[in-house]
Formats: sequence, structure tokens, C-alpha cells
Amino acid sequence: MADAVGGGRPRVLLADDEPAITANLGPFLERAGFAVHVVSDGPAALAAVAELDPDLCVLDVLMPGLDGREVLRRLRAAGQWQPVVLLTRVGEAGERAMALEEGADDYLNKPFDPQELVARMRAVLRRARPGRPPLAATGRLRSGPLRLDRASRRVWLGDSELQLTPKAMTLLDYLMTHPDEVLTRDRLLELLWGFDHPVGTRAVDNRIAELRRILGDDAGQPRWIETVPGLGYRFAAPVDAP
Amino acid sequence: MRREAPGGLVRRSMRRETPGGPVSRPTWWWWLAAAPAVVAAAVAPVLPGGTRVYATTSARWAVAGCGLLVSLLVAGTLGLRAYVGRVRARAAAEAAGWAATDRRRLLLRLDHELKNPLTAIHIGLANLRAATAGAASGDGALGSVQAQVVRLGRLVADLRKLAELETQPIERLPVDVGDLLREVHAAVRELPDAADRDLTLTLPQAPWPLPPVSGDRDLLFLAVHNLASNAVKFSQPGDTVELRAAEERDHLVVEVADTGAGIPADELSEVWTELARGRAARGVPGTGLGLALVRTVVARHGGQATLRSREQLGTVVTLRLPLAR
Repeated sequence: MADAVGGGRPRVLLADDEPAITANLGPFLERAGFAVHVVSDGPAALAAVAELDPDLCVLDVLMPGLDGREVLRRLRAAGQWQPVVLLTRVGEAGERAMALEEGADDYLNKPFDPQELVARMRAVLRRARPGRPPLAATGRLRSGPLRLDRASRRVWLGDSELQLTPKAMTLLDYLMTHPDEVLTRDRLLELLWGFDHPVGTRAVDNRIAELRRILGDDAGQPRWIETVPGLGYRFAAPVDAP
Repeated sequence: MRREAPGGLVRRSMRRETPGGPVSRPTWWWWLAAAPAVVAAAVAPVLPGGTRVYATTSARWAVAGCGLLVSLLVAGTLGLRAYVGRVRARAAAEAAGWAATDRRRLLLRLDHELKNPLTAIHIGLANLRAATAGAASGDGALGSVQAQVVRLGRLVADLRKLAELETQPIERLPVDVGDLLREVHAAVRELPDAADRDLTLTLPQAPWPLPPVSGDRDLLFLAVHNLASNAVKFSQPGDTVELRAAEERDHLVVEVADTGAGIPADELSEVWTELARGRAARGVPGTGLGLALVRTVVARHGGQATLRSREQLGTVVTLRLPLAR
């Protein structure tokens, strides 16, 4: 396994206790252009972050010692803002929401397609704001007059508070923490429901329509949520953490 | 290797467990019924044996007393029977609850244990593909193994989803079922085989349109869509598929009926269980989880799902959903 001396390549810390995964995923990520350092438990992950200061961490949620979420909490508590992608095994909606609320930049359910992981890692690196907390680790988001308080799950447009259903709120939260990224219907469906069902993508379209209606966003000339034909949706406006 | 319990759902369900299954409450206090006999038996030898006791009463009181005695005996017997019935029913309900919890735990564990190996196979295949790039020989084989891994992963995920659906909180918002059925109708019409089925939708408009039910629109959509696409799958060109709904006192009744292949009588009792696939389903794509999903979704909405079918004549599935209050 290459050490995290990447020569311009993004340095990635991969923490997973399953040798069958790290033995395959390490070389795969190396080939995809990352310099990979592998550890197999939580304490080693914390030590490696302190020592190597990687550009990105990929943490398995279930690990001996400290689990991935605890590693993430400790990193954030220590003011370490490296982007983190969590590998989750439990697809339950609560688990996904928790992963995102605790400041993971993204998560991926096992089993996953390794190409999908690489795509998410690149997107997360693109969004990274060196030295500043990633959007996913901040409590409040703003895009023009649209404000989202993530902890209390409340949304305002200008001075008026908007009433969103829990799923519409989850969707808006994910869109705003992943601005300018094409989010496929399958991925959004998986976010809302934890599984993909061929007809379920209609449910995503319905929720997007609900969001647009509440935000007063015109699908033809969207200010916030843009349809990417044949693919999915994108939050088109810039998002900042005030 | 040390492993943490996987997620909140499992932890919650584990808290309810005790090894060895159902434990019924002790019923020691029923022995109190024997106490008067025991006391009498203890006192009797102490009394002088030669003493005779005579009691006289009028015929009126004797009859009234006898009547009272018989009434008490009958009431006691009935009370005892009712109690035994309640204990049995409680034990049966507990046993059913344990069985359901066990099944759910098994499904979640299965999912949990298969995810790492499946992930490793996925990545290993991607590596193999890169290593053999250019060598055309292995490509077809790799592709087919990849497809099977995806299929396996989906099956496991669907099973887990079903187990989760039984306990996860669901949305309780007013759902316009007429609107939902129109959307299902439109979606099913797009299925490849639907073009040559006679696909109809009947919704009442008079005296008033359907009132809303309270629930999760996405789940209800999935359930009805599953039924309607089953109806298309198991019918032939020219067959009729009907979607209809009606209000019935405090329920809304949704029916999906077809003039398709029908289900053999000996398979009817199994149709709602996971992975049940009838003889007619051989060669038809599907996982055997559709009806189990329908049953779970309807149950979570406080409703019932029933199915009637005759082989060669067709099938009707009836969903009864309580109206929003």
C-alpha cells in the first residue's frame, strides 16, 4: 500500500477493519489517482489523521476500538475539517440522517460500486474549503434569501418560515450541502428511503415538485433546484455558511 | 473481530429479548382456591367425633340457597374458563410477536453479515476488470458475475427494507388516493407489456370524490404499483386489468383485479410471505417480495389486504385502508 506521500495526488485515509475490502479498495483507489493510507481501526485512524493530515478520509462506520462516527465526531471536535465519507452498513433512514448530521460530507451504503465511491470522493474534494468547516459540518446554510437551520430543521425564505414535510426537509438539506453536484434520482431515492425501487424515482420527482412549490421555484427557470435532463437534479445556487 | 451491534433498530429490538422465548406470569394465587379445603381438613380431626350437627330451614330458603350455590359454581367455572382463554391468547400473541421479532432480526443480521463480502466482491471484480482490460475472453464472464452480485445485493437490501418497514416511523399525512391511483395507472401503462392489456381506472365522483387516508404516499404508491404491475405480469394480451376504489363507511377500499392466469388453490396461503414465488412466476422476473411489501405497507397504515383468485380466471387484491380522521 502506498504511503500518504502523494506527489500531487490527493492523500486519502482509508479505515476499514475488513481486510478483504481494504486489500481490494486500496489498489482500486490508487489506480483512480489517490495516494492511499490504510488503517484497520478507529484509534489508528485518529493517529493517522494527526500524523499525515490527509486530504480526505473514508471511514467504515463499524470498526473496533472507535467506530467511524465516533472518529468523525472527535475529528470535528478537534477542529479537523478534512472531508469525510462514511461507509455505512445499516441502511436505515435514521442512520443515514445521523451520518449527515454529524458532519460527514457524504456516505455510501455497503455494498457499493467502487466507481460510485470515487465519484463521491472527487465531488467531496471539489467542494472542500481548506481550513474551513465543510458545509456538511455547519449548522446553518444560506443561499440568497433561503436559510436553513439544520439542527432545528427549520427553513426561512426571507422573513417567513416555510413548512416542509420531514422528507422534503431531508431532501433540501442534502441538496444544499451538495451544491452544484448532479444528484441522480436513484441517489436521492436512496437518501429518502434507503433503497432504490424502479418506480420509486417518481417519489423523488414528487418531493422535488413539493420543494419547488414551497420555495416558489420555477422549474422552467429555476433559481435553486435545477433539473438535469436524463440524470437528476442539482442545487444550482451558491451556498454559504453564515 | 469485535463488532458493534448494527444500528439503532437492532439495538432497540434486542433490548426486548430474553433467551428462551416467552415467559408467562406465575399463577400461584389460584392455589388460594384450595385454602378452605386445607383449613377444613386441618380443623376436622380436632372436633369431637360424636357430635351431630342439624340445621333446619324453610323450603323457601333451601331452594333459594341451592339456587345461589349453583349460580356461584357456574359463575366460578365461567370465570376460570375466561381466564384460561385470556392466558392462552396472550401466550399465542407473545409467541407470534417473538416469531416476528426473530424473523426481523434474522433478516437484519443476514443483511449485515453479507454486506462486507458483497462489497469486497464488487471491488475485486472492478480490479479484475482493470487487470484483464484488453483481454476480451474474460469480459463476458466478469459481466455476468457482476450482474449476479448486483442481484444478490438487491435481494438482501430488499429483505432488510421489508424488515425495517415493519418498525420504522412512517409519515402520517393526508393522501389523495384518487390522485395516487391515477399516477399508478399512468405508470403501469408505461410498462412494456401493458400496451395490449385493457387497463381501466374507476374512481367515484358522486356523491363526492374519495376522502383522504392518512399515511405515507410513497409507500402506498409502491404497494398499489406492485399489485398493478403484478396484474400486468401475470396476464396475457387482451386481458383486463382494473384499478378501482370506493368509500365504505370508515374505510377506503382499493381493488386491483385482473383476468389473468390466477393462482392455484394450493399456493394461495403462501402468497403474502417473503420469497414466495408460485409455479406461474417461473420465468417471470421478480423477487417474490412484492406481496410481502404490500402486506407490510397496508398493515402499517392500519389496514388489511386480502386476495381472491381462481386459476385461469384471474385475481383480485383488496386493500382496506382506514380513512383519515
